[in-house]
Amino acid sequence: MLALLDAWLLAPFDYGFMRRAVVGGLALSLAAPPLGVFLVLRGMSLIGDAMAHAILPGVALGFLLAGFSLPVMSMGGVLFGLLVALLAGAVSKMGGQREDAAMASFFIISLAAGVLLISIGGSSVDLTHVLFGSILAINSTALLLIASISTLIVVTLAFIFRALVVECLDPLFLRGQSRRSGWVHSVFLGLLVLNLTAGFQTLGTLMAVGLMMLPATSARFWSKRLEGLIGIAIVLAMVASTGGLLLSFHLDIPSGPSIILLAGTGYLFSALCGRYHSLTAKLRRKTSPLALEQEP
Amino acid sequence: MSERVPSRLQLHDLHLAQGRRTVLEHVDGEFSPGAITALIGANGAGKSTLIQAIMGELRPISGKVVCTVDKARRAWLPQQLALDLTFPMSVEELVMTGSWPSHGSLKGYCAAHYRKGREIMARLGISHLAHRPLGELSGGQRQRALIGRTLMQEAELLLLDEPFANVDSDTVDILIRILRQMADEGVTIIIVLHDMDHLRRLADEVLMLSGGHARWVAPSSLSHQHSSAQIVPFTLGGRYAGTA
Repeated sequence: MLALLDAWLLAPFDYGFMRRAVVGGLALSLAAPPLGVFLVLRGMSLIGDAMAHAILPGVALGFLLAGFSLPVMSMGGVLFGLLVALLAGAVSKMGGQREDAAMASFFIISLAAGVLLISIGGSSVDLTHVLFGSILAINSTALLLIASISTLIVVTLAFIFRALVVECLDPLFLRGQSRRSGWVHSVFLGLLVLNLTAGFQTLGTLMAVGLMMLPATSARFWSKRLEGLIGIAIVLAMVASTGGLLLSFHLDIPSGPSIILLAGTGYLFSALCGRYHSLTAKLRRKTSPLALEQEP
Repeated sequence: MSERVPSRLQLHDLHLAQGRRTVLEHVDGEFSPGAITALIGANGAGKSTLIQAIMGELRPISGKVVCTVDKARRAWLPQQLALDLTFPMSVEELVMTGSWPSHGSLKGYCAAHYRKGREIMARLGISHLAHRPLGELSGGQRQRALIGRTLMQEAELLLLDEPFANVDSDTVDILIRILRQMADEGVTIIIVLHDMDHLRRLADEVLMLSGGHARWVAPSSLSHQHSSAQIVPFTLGGRYAGTA
């Protein structure tokens, strides 16, 4: 039994590429889910998806300029992601269009531009690499970059946490109170772009958003408190990234999809068996006695 | 004889518009600290527009709002709350957010903050709801919690847009008592009211908006002229001409 556990859970990490992959996955799992939780709470779940597409032309330009160099491609991704976020914000302010509508328009333009750029300069293998990632191919430079970005995200989130909470809860209150209200949203979008850029090497631009959103949406079935949501989402992401890697190693399946599908299984399980708002929670719903509801 | 405290909020020849439509013109006046000013007028008279301008949300076409109250000490409870009731937050946490603007980003709340929060909830009769999620509150309970946030904020200027709409009578009584206490402590309060009874119980001064203009009227003159529950029909007819 112990030998089996060792063979399944520990032996794969004798390989350097697996060790780097798991550390990269855990670093992403620490930074991405809190952003996902705030996206869900702000009713902006699909913005993450849009931003993931928005970084593609920048990544592609980096690829055309420097080949498959993660720092250059990441820099391109960050710059293009921020540009799209700024443009979407400007269009929505100018024309009174909602930000998500402007973002949806820009992201599809970005996706097409990105795919075109990569097709011009590379092969279909390169395109697959960028779109779907290759966590097993992370080298030490890439790992350092992913860990640095994740650290930056966690530290920045700690600084803007209260303002972000107030902005989600009552934007008018924040606007009335603080000169910082405008930039809280911008910083948050910046963190989103950074996180997706860190994630594209591991999971690809299309699936990087999965590690951000699926644990966050799953956590809503297990907690009604913000700290609970963030903590549970981080644990779920860590389990999904490590478990997905092990599954991919043993079953010889692509690592990115196996990580996201494991996170997806967690979501389906939560929707069925979670503590709140799940199917079973609805079936076993009980009300508290009236005495507890009244003022003592 | 006590010295007159200078006004912390003054309006100078204010001209306000929504889009291209002028809403108010030539609005002048100053709001006394420690006084509760009722803002009355028919729907569309410009009450919410004036409040937006005072809070800096709407730029005047001409004239100016002079407000010496620090931003962190201004509180506004609009009629249409922007509050996200699905947000996972308890009543106590909502009240505590009032101290955030002056508290900073990273510093944790100490025991004194929590004690103050609990005292405020006790004053408002919502201690038993401290851990209740916001989404499970009634309209009155929510209004009390929001007033709790302004108390936590130690607001010096408080603007309320119809705070008693859809609120139970117990909550109205508690809020009127708390608002009066706040005013006695020197808070400048501006409150949009439609109900004559509430006006009689609360207002020290009345600013009436009608026909694009503002007029200061004495609360007593309103009480003498009618005892109707609703103010609106009378303001439409402009029956207060010359009462300022």
